[in-house]
Amino acid sequence: MKRVDWRWVLTGGALVLALSAPLLLSGYPYWLHVAIVAYFYAILASSWSLLAGYAGQFSFAHMAFMAIGAYGSGLMGKYWGTTPLTGIVLSTLLAGLVGLVIGVLCLRLKGAYLALFTIAFSEVLRLTLNAELDITGGPNGLDLAPLLNTTSRVPYYYLMLALLLASLGFMYWLAGSRFGLFFRSIREDEEAAAAMGVHIVRYKVAAFVITAMIAGLAGGVEAHYIGLITPNILILGQMSIVIAMAVIGGIESLIGAAIGAILIQFSLELLRELGNWRLVAFGLLLMLTLRFARNGLIYPLIERLVLYQARRAVIEGREQKAKQVGEGA
Amino acid sequence: MVEINLSFLLRLLADGLLIGFIYALMAMGLTLIFSVLRVVSFAHGEHYMIGGFAAYYLLETFTGLHPLVAILLAGSVTFAIGAVFERIFLRPLAEEKVERPGEYAILVTFGLGFFLQYLTLALIGPHPKKAARYFDLPAFELGPIKATAATLKLGTIPLSATRLTAAVIAVVLMLIMLYLIHHTWLGRGLRAVSQDKQAAAVVGINPLRMSTLAFGMGTMLAGMSGAALVPAFAWVPAVGAPAAVKSYVIIVLGGMGSIPGAMLGGLIIGVVEALGTGLLPDPNRAFAYRDAYGMLIFALVLLLRPRGLFGRQE
Repeated sequence: MKRVDWRWVLTGGALVLALSAPLLLSGYPYWLHVAIVAYFYAILASSWSLLAGYAGQFSFAHMAFMAIGAYGSGLMGKYWGTTPLTGIVLSTLLAGLVGLVIGVLCLRLKGAYLALFTIAFSEVLRLTLNAELDITGGPNGLDLAPLLNTTSRVPYYYLMLALLLASLGFMYWLAGSRFGLFFRSIREDEEAAAAMGVHIVRYKVAAFVITAMIAGLAGGVEAHYIGLITPNILILGQMSIVIAMAVIGGIESLIGAAIGAILIQFSLELLRELGNWRLVAFGLLLMLTLRFARNGLIYPLIERLVLYQARRAVIEGREQKAKQVGEGA
Repeated sequence: MVEINLSFLLRLLADGLLIGFIYALMAMGLTLIFSVLRVVSFAHGEHYMIGGFAAYYLLETFTGLHPLVAILLAGSVTFAIGAVFERIFLRPLAEEKVERPGEYAILVTFGLGFFLQYLTLALIGPHPKKAARYFDLPAFELGPIKATAATLKLGTIPLSATRLTAAVIAVVLMLIMLYLIHHTWLGRGLRAVSQDKQAAAVVGINPLRMSTLAFGMGTMLAGMSGAALVPAFAWVPAVGAPAAVKSYVIIVLGGMGSIPGAMLGGLIIGVVEALGTGLLPDPNRAFAYRDAYGMLIFALVLLLRPRGLFGRQE
């Protein structure tokens, strides 16, 4: 009898749960909305963990790329009359382009300098969006046309879920390919990686472009779903929440960051009556996780499961071998 | 027409210089932390914010408390927060027990900022607080110089009393810090650790204690900057972020870890911001873009001369 592989059971269970959520939550449209927003944050947190955890580029401009996707599409729709779909595609490319520029500008910057530069970029973008009232609507925000011609949340739910799964799949493929290996080698030791023939410039910039495009795409879709975008999405507090999600989930694990984001978004909603104390608690949890559990709180569980499976596979293999040897004798 | 513009420009320049002293004081704290711990604190703005609130609430609660005492007490509050945080969260860094220390330092100080900001928001709420003016100017008139309780007029240039007070406090505190750093055993210890940790330990300086002290003193300076400036601005929990970004610009411009660099950088940023504001005709837009000028300088310095004006070559 073949043993049950718990990894696939859990993945399958989670998928079935995610796919049937609109049915389960059919009486609670609000919670469906929460799930959509949670997937949105899961895309942001996991792509940030690709950039920061895998490639070691501690960028604080991730929400800025997201905002470029959102505002880009909104503004194109407002001034050029593009459809939301064209707008999202174009603004995703735009986010990639800005990511390219930022990536090139940041090539010489490491660690704290990179963090400072990206914070500055993000703040300048926020100030500009706030100041150019006539174009962007300023603090009142910008209205966006709905992406889908429906009032139901269900199609949006599946769209965001598909986006999350597709971006996770793409990022896992990337992380498992030479790209991922090179990302990690740059993170561990840039000089050594360069000496071994890794084209540092190319891969660092690529990490920025790819994650910027994922963030921009998620931003565009989310903004067209909500129908409104304001510069407040760019305040550092928002970026902190994404970082807290990635760190608590596991900064070096894409799926850990994604699950962390979903769990945190749901708990933030469940604990709504606690007001700002929720975020106080998450700030504390962020610091304690960093100090005492560098790999996050969720990733170690996944790792343990994977290790457990691997160990069982080894033991099983040995048992089978022993049996064969026994039969042969 | 030209004359009016000139006096307007001078007014902006004076304002920029005054606020520049506070920026310099705050950046001095950041640079002190960096020179000893090799860490950029991403919670610097929150210490500034807490210093301001501490002074405000001290003065509200204990009427008759001297404002200078309130500033000192506010500084002690942020000193305590900084020292305790360093002891719990940055000690493994000083003991070199952390993998990829740079990354850890960024995230954990960022986490502290996040925590402190929402803690204040939860405790106080989002509504702005404004402290009363600390000191009234004595009224006098001396040729072109004319003073009333709220403003000092140098010819056509008015200087606000609150900003003047803040600038004077900042200058005095910076002088005290310079004295501490260059003429006391404590300062010698700090400088020794910033130059060479092992060698400092060999001659009997405890680098761990110096790290705690440096972090505490750095956050204390941020807190005192906030406390000195709280009568000048409407104080909200989010007030720290723009101020912190300015200190980052200043220490990058002046050179990470350089105290003269931080002081000069503060003044440069103050003046550039003021002039930049004056150059834009639309006042609303000009005000919104005030912070952007500093960041432009920041980007240029990072790209053209990453070690800054007085930075050590690394």
